[in-house]
Amino acid sequence: MLHVRNGEVGLLGVLFDRYQTPLYNFYTKMTQDRAVSEDLVQEVFLRILRYRQSYRPGTSFRTWMYQIARNTRFDQVRKTHPETPFASEPVASASLSDSVQQLQEAAMLQRALMQLPEDKRELLVLSRFQELKYDEIARLLGCEVGAVKVRVHRALQQLREIFQQLEGGGPASGLDRAMGDALPPTRRLQ
Amino acid sequence: MNCEQIALLLSDYLHEGLNSEQSEEVQQHCERCGDCAQDVAMWKKLALLPAEQPSPESRARFEAMLHAYPSATAAEQTIPDTGRGASRWAFFEWLRSSLGAAAWSVALLVVGVFIGSRFNSSTPSHPEELTAMHAEMTSMRQLVALSMLQQQSASERLQGVSWSGREAQLDPQVQAALMRTLRNDGSVDVRLAALDALSRHGSQPQIRKGVVDALQEQQSPLVQVALIDQLAEWRDPDAAQRLRNFQQTANLNPAVRQRAEWAISKLQ
Repeated sequence: MLHVRNGEVGLLGVLFDRYQTPLYNFYTKMTQDRAVSEDLVQEVFLRILRYRQSYRPGTSFRTWMYQIARNTRFDQVRKTHPETPFASEPVASASLSDSVQQLQEAAMLQRALMQLPEDKRELLVLSRFQELKYDEIARLLGCEVGAVKVRVHRALQQLREIFQQLEGGGPASGLDRAMGDALPPTRRLQ
Repeated sequence: MNCEQIALLLSDYLHEGLNSEQSEEVQQHCERCGDCAQDVAMWKKLALLPAEQPSPESRARFEAMLHAYPSATAAEQTIPDTGRGASRWAFFEWLRSSLGAAAWSVALLVVGVFIGSRFNSSTPSHPEELTAMHAEMTSMRQLVALSMLQQQSASERLQGVSWSGREAQLDPQVQAALMRTLRNDGSVDVRLAALDALSRHGSQPQIRKGVVDALQEQQSPLVQVALIDQLAEWRDPDAAQRLRNFQQTANLNPAVRQRAEWAISKLQ
């Protein structure tokens, strides 16, 4: 990023290749809309270019980038909320090779995630899918690391409640199954 | 340890940030405590949400942006707030977009019609004038749709498809543009929207033929299934043979092949 900041804007392509997919996933999980997510990613890199002088050398580029990403999303919500004129294909139903049950659960999870308040959803997406460390999130949100940990836990609890409601009120029918899964707590790549 | 103490460790446990002794304590607690165990399970379950890949055209758009970015503005970029200030101009930017321009044109036309009707209320309106005005509006909408279908942004192209689908009768130019979109657009969402817009005009044989042709060229299983469903819905007997040929395609997704079989049985 230092080279970009010093005028070698062509090198932004290296950062684009490294971060476009994580950013795109951040937005698809926040908006559930692929087309909007692609537009937002483009907007983030345009802003990185435009405001590159505001990047402070020695600080984390990733944290700075997510700050821009959050602002871009904030502006997008302000421009379009609450209208969502086009029902894009739900992102969770993308792969036909997945089993029907997995697709259903993924769709339900995405619905539960979308029902979370924006700030809690963002927190979970950042910590679970973007693999940001708690201290990075704390810098991003301007709060203490301890506060981030507590908020992540609360967001997770609320997500669980919503998910169980969507699932039909059963205390943990799907979750018990998930306990048996050997899925690692890092994100699964398809 | 009780739940409160575990809650303080749980976030680190989920990120595998505890030492083995602490991890052991959390695991033992979760074996006894259903609530905490369910929190952990929920975290693991989030892995079901798939990792998405941006479309290939995303890189091309970025390259175009980088190429177009005027180097002359390099010295001006000292705004310290990482971009939020730029949104003040968002409203004006919207007005400059093709959709904004179209909205202005339609609004001005409506104001013109309103003023005209107020000042000439004594003279009966002529049906031919109304027809001409309607035709003018239709052609303007089509123009906007055609322009939007060529935008780089997928969401703007989606809006273009939506504008093009509002007419009862498709203009040949719009129809050709929608067909091009259905066959070649880089975004699955836009291709599906184009199919949806075309599906309302299935009574026209050339549209049905275009949709069958598009099936051979599609790589996305989602679009393939949508096309097959559409052909089945139209009940076009000519489509059955094309579907049989399509079924023979090598490396076809099994779900798509199954869908094609279902459609053929429906068409016979």
